[in-house]
Amino acid sequence: MKLLINTATAALLAIAGAGYATSAQAATICFAFQDLETEFWIAGHKAITTTLTEAGHTVIERNANEDANRQLEQVRDCVAQGVDGIIIIPQDGESAVTIVNEAQSADVPIAVFNRPPSDLSKGIIVVADNATIAEQATDFVVGQALESTSGDEKLNALIIVGDLGDPNAVGRKDGFYAAINKHEDRFNVIEVASEWDAATALANLEAAVTANPEIDMMFTSSDFLFPTIRSVLEPRGMWKKAGEEGHIPLAGLDGDATACQLIKDGFVSATGVQDLYFEADSAMTAILKAVEEGNAQPNEVIEDPGFALTSANLADREMDMWGCVLLSEGFLKN
Amino acid sequence: MNTMPARDPAAEVAVSRPSDEPPRPNPRKLVGRLADLVLSDYFVLYMSLAYVAVLAPFLPTLLLPANIVNVMSNMWPLLAVAVGQTFVLAIAGIDLSQGSVVAMTSVIGAALIATVANPVVLSNAPIWGVLIAEDGGLLNGMTGSLLAAILVMIMVAMLIGLLNGAAVAMLNMPAFMVTLVSMITFSALAIYLTQSENIARLPAEYVRLGKGDIVSVYFGAKEESQIARRTIYSFISYPMVIAVSLAIAMHLLLNRTVFGRYVLAIGINRKAAEISGVPVRRIIVTVYMLSAACAAIGALLYSARLEAGRPTLGEGTFLLDVIGAVVIGGTSLFGGKAKILWTFFGVLFFVLLSNTLNLMNLSSFQVDMVKGAVILGAALLDVFRTRLMRERSG
Repeated sequence: MKLLINTATAALLAIAGAGYATSAQAATICFAFQDLETEFWIAGHKAITTTLTEAGHTVIERNANEDANRQLEQVRDCVAQGVDGIIIIPQDGESAVTIVNEAQSADVPIAVFNRPPSDLSKGIIVVADNATIAEQATDFVVGQALESTSGDEKLNALIIVGDLGDPNAVGRKDGFYAAINKHEDRFNVIEVASEWDAATALANLEAAVTANPEIDMMFTSSDFLFPTIRSVLEPRGMWKKAGEEGHIPLAGLDGDATACQLIKDGFVSATGVQDLYFEADSAMTAILKAVEEGNAQPNEVIEDPGFALTSANLADREMDMWGCVLLSEGFLKN
Repeated sequence: MNTMPARDPAAEVAVSRPSDEPPRPNPRKLVGRLADLVLSDYFVLYMSLAYVAVLAPFLPTLLLPANIVNVMSNMWPLLAVAVGQTFVLAIAGIDLSQGSVVAMTSVIGAALIATVANPVVLSNAPIWGVLIAEDGGLLNGMTGSLLAAILVMIMVAMLIGLLNGAAVAMLNMPAFMVTLVSMITFSALAIYLTQSENIARLPAEYVRLGKGDIVSVYFGAKEESQIARRTIYSFISYPMVIAVSLAIAMHLLLNRTVFGRYVLAIGINRKAAEISGVPVRRIIVTVYMLSAACAAIGALLYSARLEAGRPTLGEGTFLLDVIGAVVIGGTSLFGGKAKILWTFFGVLFFVLLSNTLNLMNLSSFQVDMVKGAVILGAALLDVFRTRLMRERSG
């Protein structure tokens, strides 16, 4: 799998790494991540570690295995080792605040990659505009759901919510409601909690679909849950391609390879795309700049505007989505 | 029957003949000294020192003040929980529910004293409007709220310990099963109460208990007007004082009181203790309550250092760390043999082990595998020590 990701990301890494080829001084960067459970994190991890290493920097990796306390201890270890900077994918927004404060108190610049702290005022925060991206993706499936009915009856919209301790999950939920509220009188909303955990999502989604067999559209706060959704809908005869009887317009967010394949196959209508390589590139550029300038407490929010890849714009924007790039390199064939 | 040892003429010659050769080491004496070392209270401390001595040349950061401070700061919460587990192992029991107690009490404590709460995150939680609301926890802003919250945490923990202890002592249920069920139930309850959300925005005085310094030190001359913060090290901290005070209190309880003797007596032989008039059931219940109370103190330290009550605290490999540290220290899994000093050294070694494995840049999975192997080694050593003690006393 590692080999494949290497191959798959090579082209984009070259672009991301171009800025570092002439980096003035080699730095030691601690890269502390909470886990590598989704395609997004795997690809992000690869982009950051490979690019930094190829540019001559030393990367100290720390995997907290989803344990916030362990991550705190690992970051403290990194500080004790005298690293020049830290890039972190935190377990959640609260622990991110604590860890950013910890690093800044020790005069070590820190960048938070993709999962922002609940307080955005400290550290380099690289974050997608989750609300806007989710709204764009949801708008598309709302339109499809409304088109498929002729009357004024109320439709059931289901959202799989992430861990609301993660500001990303809150933003995605807000974006979903922003789209739904444009047609407030037309939708009943069913919320399903996932806590960013496939097993939790499976159990809760099964219960929700059993209680509400008529689902007219669905939005998942992360693409990594599409296989879970399929395993719930397929046995009930609800996993259908666009154009087939009983098709449910589905949207997600992340832009991973699975979502890309499912859009091409017609099972999924849209996904909000986070520009993974822009985010990785921004985090690396900002932290290396802070190291070079001797800025121990850089505070900056870098926003990834993102976009929605839909079945309508697939032909034009496919290769703008990182998951489609991985897919084209054969990522899912393994 | 001839009880005299056979005479060895060669040995007699060697003794009587003056010689320039250095005296040969006596293998029996060497084995005896090795056995003394293995049975010593300080065995794990010696092992830790030897471990550091071996690794220090290869890991230059190991002995840096910043790293030593890290090792120490990582010790305190684990020590608080481990001293409770020591009592349970001393009665030949086991408390698998300590992680869930940490989760439950961290959530309840945080909910009571949070200064503010986000309704977007917490409004679906059953504790919303009961323990916590938009303007913070139930005790937020009240005089003595910190102490009250800590007392509530300990009381909730002791209630869980009471349930565990009662099931083990009164119903004669296996401790493993009882505490396993408690672990699952109370972990789930903690997640349910908060709907898996963390409770942040804790008051500064609470956070200070988990990471605040009482005495900080700086090594070197003050040559610049401002000393870089990363060169100022924590020396005496609040979590250190809390954990060490708890350990000393528990040490006195185990080693200097009748209660402590009862605990060890139950661990050696429950039936014999019962016949000798030891109030076995009451002691067992109390031990499980103490174990849970220690877990609550651990929860205080963990949640304060992370600045949030977390329903997922105590999950994952937490129990491996707690039981591992106690067993490595030398407390017997068979009961009847336990000292808080051993647990202190066990925690030190275990934290040191984690730290050095991190410094070697091993992955978290490799770290856990090595930890598991070391705990297995410690359990085998326990068997060896027990046999050695029996042989000596026999």
